[in-house]
Amino acid sequence: MLCERCKIREANIQYTEIVNGVKTEHHFCAQCAKELDFGPYSAIFDSDFPLGKLLSGLLGVGETAGEEQVQVVCPTCGLSYEEFVKNSRFGCPDCYGVFDLLISDKIKQLQGNDSHKGKQPEDWKRKQKEMAAGSVFGSQKEAQADSQAKAGETGAEGNLESETVSAGSGRSIPEIEEEIRVLDARRQEAIRREEYETAAQCRDRIKELREEIGL
Amino acid sequence: MTRWFDEASEKGSAVVSSRVRLVRNLDGYVFPSRMTSGESAEMVRRLKGGLRELDSLDGKSYEYLDLTELGSLEKKALTERRVINTTIAAKKEPSGLIFSEAEDTGILLNGSDHVRIQVMASGLKLPELWKQANKIDDYIGERFSYAFDEKYGYLTSFPTNMGTGLRASVILHLPALSLGKKFNGMVTEMSRFGAAVKGVYGEGSENYGALYQVSNQKTLGISEKEILELVTKVALQLASQEEQVRRMAMEKHSLECADEAYKSYGVLKYARRLSQKDAMIFLSQMMSGVTDGILQFKEPCSLYRIMLGIQPGNLQLGADRPFDKEELDAVRAAFVREELPELI
Repeated sequence: MLCERCKIREANIQYTEIVNGVKTEHHFCAQCAKELDFGPYSAIFDSDFPLGKLLSGLLGVGETAGEEQVQVVCPTCGLSYEEFVKNSRFGCPDCYGVFDLLISDKIKQLQGNDSHKGKQPEDWKRKQKEMAAGSVFGSQKEAQADSQAKAGETGAEGNLESETVSAGSGRSIPEIEEEIRVLDARRQEAIRREEYETAAQCRDRIKELREEIGL
Repeated sequence: MTRWFDEASEKGSAVVSSRVRLVRNLDGYVFPSRMTSGESAEMVRRLKGGLRELDSLDGKSYEYLDLTELGSLEKKALTERRVINTTIAAKKEPSGLIFSEAEDTGILLNGSDHVRIQVMASGLKLPELWKQANKIDDYIGERFSYAFDEKYGYLTSFPTNMGTGLRASVILHLPALSLGKKFNGMVTEMSRFGAAVKGVYGEGSENYGALYQVSNQKTLGISEKEILELVTKVALQLASQEEQVRRMAMEKHSLECADEAYKSYGVLKYARRLSQKDAMIFLSQMMSGVTDGILQFKEPCSLYRIMLGIQPGNLQLGADRPFDKEELDAVRAAFVREELPELI
């Protein structure tokens, strides 16, 4: 369809106007649309409007940014989630892990999928193998982590119990840090499953533990 | 030195060229957009040092360009030849380019991502290009540790590249097909299959030259092999549709087709001033003439190379000052006259 204003270029913008309940549709090319006044939307037709900004629409601009979202900052590169959304651009490899929960669904929307298929780097595969091979120690650790995770799952009582144990037993800082990591993973998993009560319990417990080791 | 796009245009196919691009980042470093100038310079130095024996990998001879030292016209010319993109051309922080003499292989250091491998060739050759890019990727992967995640694949600056980091694209010449009413519908349909089709030199009817690029839209959850197959399939589909429409035109309107091709040659061979738009339109019509077997040159001639050569950046290469439009049109006409061989 040709642009109804210049009748030269292809119309690629559809503009629907509803005035007093009467709906009219217009078709413009980007150039004419830019010259017309669409109020707050005019900037979209600006030729300088970068594609990245359009992407940010998909990634979450326009959503009322919850307080939680604003505060997420990647500790490695200092990029905030807000900045990420604004520029549709990650700051470093660690951003993927930090923003994982917030972006998972959006990535799926954008890419139609949320997990990689295809080539893996040789050295990464080697490392995975080594980790699997040296699992005698690893599996013990995992079992421990598992039981701690389960303790978290049983809820407030379980937490209280483990708290007394930890306070009494005087565990080493690395052990507590490990528990924080496990709890954080549980918390993220809980948010993913929309089990907010469990997530809140994990969060409180992490806070307690952090205070305990003076973080 | 002959460059990849010097390969002569031949009768038959609507396919012009293919390209494979791989984006990679090193583990343990922030992406270029978060780096200070000093960190960027250090990253370029590190990568350049690690890749200094690249020649031994594929026997090509490589040169190094410090992009920060390049003038804006030279960068523009590289952009027009698709060696770098406009984002990189505009970048102020240190970045470098290792490229083969034939310009078919380029490794951009610290552009939007730490590493961007690009391999190009004329014709439809995606699997071959992937093989070359993959080899370079393995070579770099042996020297540096890549940022990779089991779930998200190769980690990249832009979420549109994550996963394989692979963008495969094919340039097609679609003068007949793009005139048809169904063309927009076809483009939309292709996007449903995950392939993006867009004008190389502009959108819609303003894409003078009728060159279109097909590329994969998605990079995550789709393997390299699937991407290459998808883009090849869509390119072949569009090319065969174009050839079909053109065969019909040749059968029913052979005189008009021949007239258009010869007139275009006449204008291009003798004009004293040529705007970019006119030059692109006439070159495109000549391209159709060559594909249809109407025009044959006495010497091998790549019309795509002339299309690249008449863009403003390339025309002004080596000039001591920027040209105004009048001068540019005159230089363009002279360049085309010089490049076009006699017809048989």
